[in-house]
Amino acid sequence: MEFAFSQEQDMLRESVARFLEKNYDFDTRQALVRSDTAWSEDVWSQFAELGLLALPFSEDKGGLGGSIADCVAFAGHFGKHLVIEPYAHSIMLAGAALEASDHEGATAWLEKLASGEAIVAFAYEEGAGTSTPEMIQTRASGSGNAVTLRGEKRLVIAGAQADAVIVAARTDDQTIGLFLVAKDAPGLGIRSYTTIDGQSAAKMTFNDTPAQTLMRDAGEALDTILTNAIIVQSAEAVGAMEALLATTAEYAMTRKQFGKPIMMFQSVAHRLSDMKIAYTKALSTLTYTTALANSGGASARDVAVLKGQIGKLGREIGEAAIQTHGGVGMTDELNVSHYHKRLLAYDAQLGDHAYHLRVVGRA
Amino acid sequence: MNVEFSPELEAFRAEVADFFATAPTPAIREAGAKTTSVFAPFDQCMAWHKILYKKGWAAPHWPVEYGGTGWSVEQRFIFAEEYRKADLPPLLPQSLGMVGPLLIDLGTEEQKAKYLPGIIQGDDFWAQGYSEPNSGSDLASLSCRAEADGDDYIINGSKIWTTYAHHANRMFMLVRTSNEGKKQQGITFLLLDRMDYPGMDVRPIYGLDGFPEQCEVFFDNVRVPQSGCVGEENDGWTVAKHLLKHERGGSAASPTLMRYCERARGAAAQTPSPFGGTLADDPVFQSEVGAIEANIASLSHMEKLAIAGHPVARDPSFPSMNKTINSEALQDISTLMARLSGVDGLARQVEALRVGSNVEPLGSEFDLIAMPLYLNSRAASIYAGSNEVQRDLIARTVAMH
Repeated sequence: MEFAFSQEQDMLRESVARFLEKNYDFDTRQALVRSDTAWSEDVWSQFAELGLLALPFSEDKGGLGGSIADCVAFAGHFGKHLVIEPYAHSIMLAGAALEASDHEGATAWLEKLASGEAIVAFAYEEGAGTSTPEMIQTRASGSGNAVTLRGEKRLVIAGAQADAVIVAARTDDQTIGLFLVAKDAPGLGIRSYTTIDGQSAAKMTFNDTPAQTLMRDAGEALDTILTNAIIVQSAEAVGAMEALLATTAEYAMTRKQFGKPIMMFQSVAHRLSDMKIAYTKALSTLTYTTALANSGGASARDVAVLKGQIGKLGREIGEAAIQTHGGVGMTDELNVSHYHKRLLAYDAQLGDHAYHLRVVGRA
Repeated sequence: MNVEFSPELEAFRAEVADFFATAPTPAIREAGAKTTSVFAPFDQCMAWHKILYKKGWAAPHWPVEYGGTGWSVEQRFIFAEEYRKADLPPLLPQSLGMVGPLLIDLGTEEQKAKYLPGIIQGDDFWAQGYSEPNSGSDLASLSCRAEADGDDYIINGSKIWTTYAHHANRMFMLVRTSNEGKKQQGITFLLLDRMDYPGMDVRPIYGLDGFPEQCEVFFDNVRVPQSGCVGEENDGWTVAKHLLKHERGGSAASPTLMRYCERARGAAAQTPSPFGGTLADDPVFQSEVGAIEANIASLSHMEKLAIAGHPVARDPSFPSMNKTINSEALQDISTLMARLSGVDGLARQVEALRVGSNVEPLGSEFDLIAMPLYLNSRAASIYAGSNEVQRDLIARTVAMH
């Protein structure tokens, strides 16, 4: 058993940390969220420069052949800095789907994505949440390059900015397939919005929208793609939890009421202690599950444990951080509420903790 | 990163599992099945201790020169995992886990030579005399007094919550030897060779589960030799703090907890749901047991990271977090178990639970243990430093982040 990061992984993490510390403080991030642009083109091209956009893809597809542990090594800093660039969705989901496809157009799109020339979005979530691919209702009729899509996707991160969109849809054979839609395809409706945690998203409607088939039966590939995305988003979430624990501890030690730091009150101290327990559980489960996945041994139950724990513990830490900060924790100005909303976003996507914990209990 | 054990370790696992499949007597297995506390039935527990000693496996965590196995941390974890899987009674922690390691670290050569063989061979059982009626979480306020008299001490006062003192033949205790200075100063750590000194009186306390697990120990002018001091006179608090490290030490609690989850699932599959089907199909049950198991999974991940020397386990509050999580997880699963047993859990079945009694349980084996386990596990958040004290300790470390 070996759970430590390698020297190369430590170096990668350090270079991402240095870049974000220099270029991505909270005020810069907030200015970006409030601006007209969806995210920073400059930051995205720096990610390409650092090799992050090509990292998870195999070398024969033009990637760097990185492992899931490589991605986990730096992803915590994305959570810590509340990064709004669409890494998990565009690289871990859309990119991985392109990589898994034999379609002739897929490799060209992947190359453009990995070099930072193009953005590809992943249209998966429907309705009140898409805990499993079986819940997908969007229909794909026809086959090959003569497919049309009908349906609606509610949360497509980077959907309005994407040059192409990969859509998960149900085929006539009841398989769940992955389909490529051009941004100017007829019958494609895009309504863009910003999420509560500052990301650019779109609601997409497909009204007999033409699409190309990337994979007609994506079942197994989709499992791997979703698992890796869950692990990377969990790593981001643990980074956000660590930041919340640190900032809340510092606040409790310095904020005075009744003549002493509020940390001196046992009810506050014990809440901080519970935050640290929750963070330690989350970090341990992330680390262990990453090691499992890295050696190809993460079962569906292991992934459900991870997603369930991260969602539940993240929410607990966020709520405890707001309560400890009191009124100022309720403001838009302080980063605390933004961390909490980011943690809520991780929980809501790809099945929330209530779903995943029941999966653990059903097994 | 990888989580695989090497083929050599898997071979070791097979060797351990094979021994556990063949070595225990039927009475020892019965004791394992009827264990409803961290303290297993005494007689069978000590019989099993002696069998493990003959095999050389009684104290895996001790240094080799004192009879330890010399196993790696991975081997120790595998041993613990197989141990729980086999439903065997856990060996009692006071001698092997507490006073033994303490003497190895801090005892004189004479004390080690005198006491360690009896501990590892399972001939002696030591009671832990710490808490007093007015000194629980605030242990340093203890007042059981030892007055020097020639080469002896004269002890007056009492101890309480002294687990299995009625079975013990020796005792380690904290006594007050001075009232000068801070309350932590003036405490002395003392070894008692016997439990039947004149003036010493052990009275069992029946617990809420019907068992005499805890005791009170009274001292009325009890004369004991001063050579039983560990460390310096009045420096016993330092010695005791060293021992608390062993008491809270991160062992492998998660395999036991997962065994209870399996038992709960087994019972749920046999229990009709008022909403149709069995409770195992019931979404509320699935959510509850899922949340409990995911929490235990996180605990097991912490334990495995600790084995591998991951930085998360080097946090000074790691033992306190570990204790808090595993005690509360035990309470969660035992609460669910007691609920599953329903009215069958209401029968008081102390006699059927006694090893060798041959009394047929009223309901299932599960119903026999569920309620006593629930009742007994209320103590988990109280003993070994209450969880309130643990949270105080953890809170002192949060500013490190």
